[in-house]
Amino acid sequence: MVNLENQIFSSYKRNPVLFDEIFDKNGQVKDVYSKLFTLYGEHSIKDYVNLNEKAKSSFFNQGITFQVYDKKKTEEKIFPFDLFPRIIPPEEWNIIESGAIQRSRALNLFLWDIYHDKKIIRQGIVPMDLISSSANYLDQMNKVDPPGGIYNHISGTDIIKHTDGQYYVLEDNIRCPSGVSYVICNRTALKRALFGVFNHYKTYSVTNYAENLLDLLETVKPKGVDIPNVVVITPGMFNSAFYEHSYLAKTMGVELVEGRDLFVENDFVYMKTIQGPQKVDVIYRRIDDAFIDPLEFKPDSSLGVPGLFAAYKKGNVTLANAPGTGVADDKAVYTYMPEIIRYYLNEEPILNNVHTYHCSRPKELKYVLEHIETLVIKPVDEAGGYGISIGNRLSKKEIEVVKAQILLNPRKYVAQPIMSLSVHPTYIDKTESFEQRHVDLRTFTVLGKDKEFVLKGGLTRVALKRGNLIVNSSQGGGSKDTWVLKT
Amino acid sequence: MPLEYFITYKAENTYEEPVHEAYWQFLVIPEENESQQFIGIDFNSSINPKFEFSINGYGFKTIRVHMKQKFEQIAFEARFRLIKKEINPFDFTPEADKSKSIEKIQGLNFKVDYEAFLKTTPYTYIPYTKNILFEFDWGNSIFDNLIALNSYTYRYIQFNTKATDVHTTLNEVLDIHQGVCQDFTHLFCALARTNGIPARYVSGYLHQGNGYFGDLQMHAWAEAYIPYAGWIGFDPTNDILAATNHIKVAHGKDYSDCSPLKGVVYTSGKNQTVHSVQVNSQDQQ
Amino acid sequence: MLARVANNLFWMGRYIERSEHIARYLRVNYFSSLDAPNQVSQSRQFVLRSMLNMIGDPIEDESIVHSEERVLYKIGLDPNYPSSIINNVRNVRENANSARDLISTELYESINKFYHFISKYDPKVYTKNGLHDFTLNVTEMSAILRGKVRSTLMHDEIYAIIMMGTNIERATQIIRIINAKSNDALKAQGSYGDKFKNSFEWTTLLKCTESYDMMRRYYKKTPSSISTLEFLILNPDCPRSIMNSLNQVFKHMQILDPNTKLDRDSTAFLVAKVKAEYEFKCIIEIEKDIQSVIDTTLDSLYEISQKMEEEFFSY
Repeated sequence: MVNLENQIFSSYKRNPVLFDEIFDKNGQVKDVYSKLFTLYGEHSIKDYVNLNEKAKSSFFNQGITFQVYDKKKTEEKIFPFDLFPRIIPPEEWNIIESGAIQRSRALNLFLWDIYHDKKIIRQGIVPMDLISSSANYLDQMNKVDPPGGIYNHISGTDIIKHTDGQYYVLEDNIRCPSGVSYVICNRTALKRALFGVFNHYKTYSVTNYAENLLDLLETVKPKGVDIPNVVVITPGMFNSAFYEHSYLAKTMGVELVEGRDLFVENDFVYMKTIQGPQKVDVIYRRIDDAFIDPLEFKPDSSLGVPGLFAAYKKGNVTLANAPGTGVADDKAVYTYMPEIIRYYLNEEPILNNVHTYHCSRPKELKYVLEHIETLVIKPVDEAGGYGISIGNRLSKKEIEVVKAQILLNPRKYVAQPIMSLSVHPTYIDKTESFEQRHVDLRTFTVLGKDKEFVLKGGLTRVALKRGNLIVNSSQGGGSKDTWVLKT
Repeated sequence: MPLEYFITYKAENTYEEPVHEAYWQFLVIPEENESQQFIGIDFNSSINPKFEFSINGYGFKTIRVHMKQKFEQIAFEARFRLIKKEINPFDFTPEADKSKSIEKIQGLNFKVDYEAFLKTTPYTYIPYTKNILFEFDWGNSIFDNLIALNSYTYRYIQFNTKATDVHTTLNEVLDIHQGVCQDFTHLFCALARTNGIPARYVSGYLHQGNGYFGDLQMHAWAEAYIPYAGWIGFDPTNDILAATNHIKVAHGKDYSDCSPLKGVVYTSGKNQTVHSVQVNSQDQQ
Repeated sequence: MLARVANNLFWMGRYIERSEHIARYLRVNYFSSLDAPNQVSQSRQFVLRSMLNMIGDPIEDESIVHSEERVLYKIGLDPNYPSSIINNVRNVRENANSARDLISTELYESINKFYHFISKYDPKVYTKNGLHDFTLNVTEMSAILRGKVRSTLMHDEIYAIIMMGTNIERATQIIRIINAKSNDALKAQGSYGDKFKNSFEWTTLLKCTESYDMMRRYYKKTPSSISTLEFLILNPDCPRSIMNSLNQVFKHMQILDPNTKLDRDSTAFLVAKVKAEYEFKCIIEIEKDIQSVIDTTLDSLYEISQKMEEEFFSY
């Protein structure tokens, strides 16, 4: 039973099957949340209605918005922010942090290997298929040594807590993981709304991300450069993540450029400033591989810089993340992560992997087709939650459609058991009350030369529709401030 | 006796609407290798944009051009001089032991080493629904099989410059049985690869003196990797082995890695490009 | 600073300034006509034509009857009319957006608020009885933006570029307002002496440029054509004058191009030259041929803007 004295939780419906982050099995508030629970209880639900409105307009006025693509138009939306923070106790955070670093380092070594000697394939630990049939493997990166030996400078690791109370990694995002600006905005918004609660907890600050990022990017500068000139490249202001791009540039104190602001001469990269050309040494790129250089990759793209790849290959500029990193982002690679970690680091994986069925393997394909209602089907190469089917939500007709899709191109799909994401009390606009909603956590790890950094916090994403398991913002998800407590 | 070659590559681009800015990248310079000794290059254009030499993602030399002023028409001309050693394509030690070669190509290390030239690409993809076209006779040597594949390809496609263009994939060629050197080469590569032999697309120039198909354009042929022998050139368009008359520029998985001209042009209308090639030779004294 | 972003900042400055002048022109003309001393000045058609003239869409044919609602909507909130206030503010925001990493959070937040205020304004309310509220808010929000530019940005080259845009635009708008109002003065002449010289429209002109109070303190006389033009064009201490704007442009130009020996082909040289021309101009010359002064001023300002574009924004 939920504490009925606490007004705002009087109507909180607790589904005992789900893992609630605040309440234990018996409905008692967990220790780490008890103070917060009491503090929030001192407010009436009307206060929350009010605060929620204020928080919304603050995001809107600050222009912290993203565009949603519809068939007809693009719409400017705010990423819904929830007033109730998520708390991660220090002992749990230690596991997450060391697990995230372990994965990022293993992936980096994996990338180095598959673009050099390919030992892991020669030794039969992962199949050659991972590179030979991946659309994201760039032959042009073969034998290229990225400055500082780093490929995935920035990784976003999506982690959930299952009903067993254990953390599982769902995905490693190492192309252009986004969302870090929301971590910081959420903190600011919560501080503005309910500053009093911070007095009672010792929480790590999240505002040091940009300085650490810049610091680590400077460690991977090209050879022969003394003080590197770092820039952030964006596809432009119509990109859904433009706010984040400008935020990162601003907080790092570097220029935010578009492809047309740069040009390549004698295999060096320059930006066009009002004082004339200025050399650029490190590019934090928020443009996908296919678009970075129209002379080398997708020819009809005007987002990139003609000649950039040649400059990169010559070692005159650093790209973060490195081109071709996307191959390790492939969901098929994910399924080999435990082996990859053991192979390169000689360590046991710290964070769990979800068991995965490969539709490319006839036996597993058979299992998937027979048990589709208990599985989540994912295309291996789509980001942002697009193309995901959850077996137990499909009608009979839809199941047949999904089966047909899988059969058409089995290599394109993997399946996993339906994981139950933990739930967290979340303020719901419509009912003006707190309700259980599923959450995940995206952590941000930065790798530099012999240095690494994990943002102590992360983006807790919330699926705002009741029962929904997909938390991506493009699918109507929101987010919460996330507190990592100091010991 | 070594031959001295004079090659002229021309491209003329015409645009419907004025162009404000443009970048081009030419992949037309003959490769410098054991049999090709590069002497000189002369690059010109009708307007005088900036150009520079660079190396593309696959390690081949390119000419990159940046045009900043407004224009509607531009012509480029590149002249090359090089000395080519006479090549006898049959001049290699034949496979000592057939079974040893076959064993080699089946090994994982071999497959990893030549991964790039064993995988299918959009241009060389043969759908599963198509009948098996050409199967190796493993009783014969790999070289003999490739010679047979060369002839098979030559007979399978009828040379026709009107039937296909640079965007045509192998899948379409298999339906119409017509095409140009690019299509012959794609078919050869695809079938060599399905039989486990690494094969790469080669672009270059063909000296037309001997009445070969090549149509005053850049030519394409294939190179296949034969264990214990190395890369050997096959020209399925002419059913011959690539030899002294074949001047190599670049190689890749398929046409898209070797396209002679890539451009980014800021304009609204359509455009048209006309390429032409001329190859002359004379004996070296 | 990136050339493209400098261009955005320059135009952000221009659009902020432009919205303000248009809004004020609408308000002042509309409301001063209500109790104007003569019939012409009171005529609604006369005012609407003046507004269209100022925005750069003059309708010569005086027999055409304009709908008040339509003209106000067009200039204020019509998203399909490129020169409307709403499009000006949208342009402010778009230009600010792509320079977002360079400008202060405070400035950006104010721009965003401004934009949301305008885009949410009900056109029906505006054309029916909201003209005063709407235009007053636009002028005040523009003033807030100017304040934020001045107080939340480093006074470095970013600031200089914005101020170049602001002052070139200010001079442009002032001269356009002078143009529209001197045109009105020809039509609505005064009742005594030199009727053009003593038209009521000179007072309106001063109010349109927020300079009436300053001018009264300075001359202590009813505004006439000569005193008004002298004040608005040549007085370096009047913050809205052409002279003052040119001095500002010159001052900020020196931050962008600190060379003392100027290249004859540079923007800085052109700015210095234009500034000198006005420093040594007399009101007698202006009075002789107002129209040609207006035209050459507009030309010079356009030329400066073009030169900046060539030298700093695109190469």
